[in-house]
Amino acid sequence: MLAFTRNKIVGVECPDEKTFLAHGVLEDYIYALDLDVEVKSPDFKITNIQGEYRRYTTPECPKSIPKLQNAVGLCITEEEFARKIRRMVGKEGCTHFANLLLECCNGIMQTAIYNDWKESKEKASATEKKEYLKEKFGSIPGLANSCMAYSGRNK
Amino acid sequence: MVRVYTRSKYATTTDLDDGSVLVRATLDDTFFAGEVEMEVRVPELEIVSIHGDIKRAFNEECQEAIPLLQEAVGLVIGSGVNKAVNDLVGGAEGCPKLADLILECIDQVVLRFTLPSLKLALARNEEELMEGSREMVRQNPRLLGSCIAFAEGSPLIEGLELDK
Repeated sequence: MLAFTRNKIVGVECPDEKTFLAHGVLEDYIYALDLDVEVKSPDFKITNIQGEYRRYTTPECPKSIPKLQNAVGLCITEEEFARKIRRMVGKEGCTHFANLLLECCNGIMQTAIYNDWKESKEKASATEKKEYLKEKFGSIPGLANSCMAYSGRNK
Repeated sequence: MVRVYTRSKYATTTDLDDGSVLVRATLDDTFFAGEVEMEVRVPELEIVSIHGDIKRAFNEECQEAIPLLQEAVGLVIGSGVNKAVNDLVGGAEGCPKLADLILECIDQVVLRFTLPSLKLALARNEEELMEGSREMVRQNPRLLGSCIAFAEGSPLIEGLELDK
């Protein structure tokens, strides 16, 4: 028998070339939240954010909703981004909204990095992965040193 | 509009017969699928075993990150564990996705042990909820300042005196 479960779902759409819209849902035994966040390229800054509780624990929790706006203007590719969100949206508001926001922004980053590859494969016009990634290293800050797979390619 | 990307992350905890907790976190998104499972000894909250799997990834090199999971064995869930996981498993020389799954598992262990006292607190009337919240903070002083509900000035912790 499970003692606790948490389920998070994120979907991303791109209404135009420069806009990423993420919708996230968090559902666990204690909390239920919805979140919508908009990020625009090329600077990858948060331009809009809305959130809603479905289930929460204290009468103070809804006061954290306005704190979501602390994220507007932050750049999701910045090295300190996660730390800022945990403080400005989490500690000052709600740690679970901060958690879901980071999940949404991670989804947006995955879309920015890999979706062009998916589309070019569908159109049978894909370049080699190496060339594809080289281009992305140039256009997405921090990607080139983000993990062992990419750091290794740069050596 | 059609989605171009979806992400599903699911985490569960199970209480084992010896009192330990088995926790599993799974991530399945458009470009990556992986899972981490670990056993946490109670009451120490020490990670005693861990294993994981990467089923899908953009790069073949990603499989080389699996052995890094063992760096988490011996870590204790408490102050500083997030940094330790990111330093040992994530970062430029590691795999941030596996580190993230470990951190998800850690979150679930904390929430699992928060659930019983929350259930009790929520079953009370408003006045008892206030005292229940103060009692939660007395037992877990780290909650103080952790979110808006337990921030300075919050009615939930009005009149709270912590043992020094």
